[in-house]
Amino acid sequence: MNTKANFKGEIIYIEKIAKDTCKMDISSPLKQANAGQFISIYCPNTTLRRPFSIANFENHIITILFKLKGEGTKYLSNLKKGDYIDFLAPLGNGFTIENKKSLLVGAGIGIAPMIFLKNTLNKKNIENYLITGFKSNEENIKGSDETIIGGSVLYHLDKIIKNKNIEIIYSCGPMPVLKGITELSKKYNIPSQIAMEKVMACSIGVCRGCIIKLMKNGKVINASVCKDGPVFKGSDIIWD
Amino acid sequence: MGLENLKTILKNKEKTFEIKSPIIAASGTYGYNDEFQDFIDSNYFGAISTKGITLEKRLGNEGDRIFEVQNGMINRIGLENVGIETFIKEKLPILKSKNIDFLLNIAGSTIEDYEKLAEIAQKYNIKALEVNVSCPNVKSGCLEFGLNPDSLFKLISKIRENYNNFLIVKLSPNTNNIKLLAKATENGGADCISAINTLRGLGIKIQFDGQKFIKKSVKGGLSGPCIKPIALYMIEEIRNSTNLPIIAMGGITKLSDLFEFILAGADAFQIGTANFIKPSICTDLAIELSDFIEKNNFKNFEELKNKIKETK
Repeated sequence: MNTKANFKGEIIYIEKIAKDTCKMDISSPLKQANAGQFISIYCPNTTLRRPFSIANFENHIITILFKLKGEGTKYLSNLKKGDYIDFLAPLGNGFTIENKKSLLVGAGIGIAPMIFLKNTLNKKNIENYLITGFKSNEENIKGSDETIIGGSVLYHLDKIIKNKNIEIIYSCGPMPVLKGITELSKKYNIPSQIAMEKVMACSIGVCRGCIIKLMKNGKVINASVCKDGPVFKGSDIIWD
Repeated sequence: MGLENLKTILKNKEKTFEIKSPIIAASGTYGYNDEFQDFIDSNYFGAISTKGITLEKRLGNEGDRIFEVQNGMINRIGLENVGIETFIKEKLPILKSKNIDFLLNIAGSTIEDYEKLAEIAQKYNIKALEVNVSCPNVKSGCLEFGLNPDSLFKLISKIRENYNNFLIVKLSPNTNNIKLLAKATENGGADCISAINTLRGLGIKIQFDGQKFIKKSVKGGLSGPCIKPIALYMIEEIRNSTNLPIIAMGGITKLSDLFEFILAGADAFQIGTANFIKPSICTDLAIELSDFIEKNNFKNFEELKNKIKETK
């Protein structure tokens, strides 16, 4: 059943959980969401909606994590428990879960979909290991098996892949990390699934604003991050 | 289904385009309808204007395509579209089966491109054609036709030779004399003018990371509420130079915007950027407009329009 819609949701929890970082739980009639999917929130003080990865979904409650970056997140951070927000959900295609020893890599706020994915894998008893990286200890968002403070997470992955016999990598974070992940997956000949980020206007696949290039069957094609993604096979992505 | 009192007939001599409401979703902001179906009921729309279609499929521009500004946005999509052949094969049957009225929005690089597209539109008896002569985001053609009254006249005349149904021309605001363009459009044989397309704009974001400045910039078409005063001005200029029906657009987000555009000279409206923020905006505005007409005892949209136009 297709449950995509424009929802009104009540904020039932909002707290600062790290430096400039908030966690928000939203209760709404949304019935289903998968790790890797996102919601698009209406912020009255900005022209466009703002997309946020779903950091968990359970019993109609969506969790998002956000970093205070601009006007949109400023609006959200000022909301209180009991306030309502307007959002489109669930958007995009999430991760395709495979029954393989999984390495999850989240860099910065890219940890958000990784937490949801970890919860999903745990429920399915799929062995997984979540490593995350943050610029400083104050920015650390808890919930990982291993956390790197300062420096790139990429330098720590070879060892894990070998020691834990990793069979698939899932990742979300800044572009250099994601690109590095696809190179590693090529090096070890294991698949990777990458959650991409790009400035969006419509967030539902209409405006063609958030396009990336993919290589499919030897042909270069356009794909929208919001509708065709945000999760793509690492081996398909053509990096700028 | 629909709202009876919103029925709108755009008319030029013997040519008419009848739509169930004056609210039309603007080109490039509504795809081909399929993407929006999860979110809204398009039964209350007058029509949708399709994504701009070219002869061949286009991948659009490289790099960043969207830049948000205060009360607006800049886009440089570059006419990414499926091409006319795929449109006819895959999108047209969906629009027809759902009984959705649409304007086929077309763009080209040469007069011949437009002629061929018009011919195909005629072959499939497409009821309304919206000619994009004003896309600021593609390097060749398009905008050049739209800014010179002589070449615009020539282009529209050629399209007219190949297309007998309702011919709409979408004008650019990136000109110092929109009146001449409107006149050329009328003389070329068009039935209706839609305006305005996006304005040329440059968005720059520059930040200092503690050591060096980092910049991001996007040059493209500006849209959204920030362009409304320019759009109103342009619509009034067009109204003062032609009697063709006008479909107005440029920053419409609410009922009072519709009234303002009517006063400037509009007969129908297109909603663009607002679709991105509120997918139900076209439906909401149609219902709100219909309710206003009913509550205030106007017979229909036509009467409301005439009343607003009488305002001194």
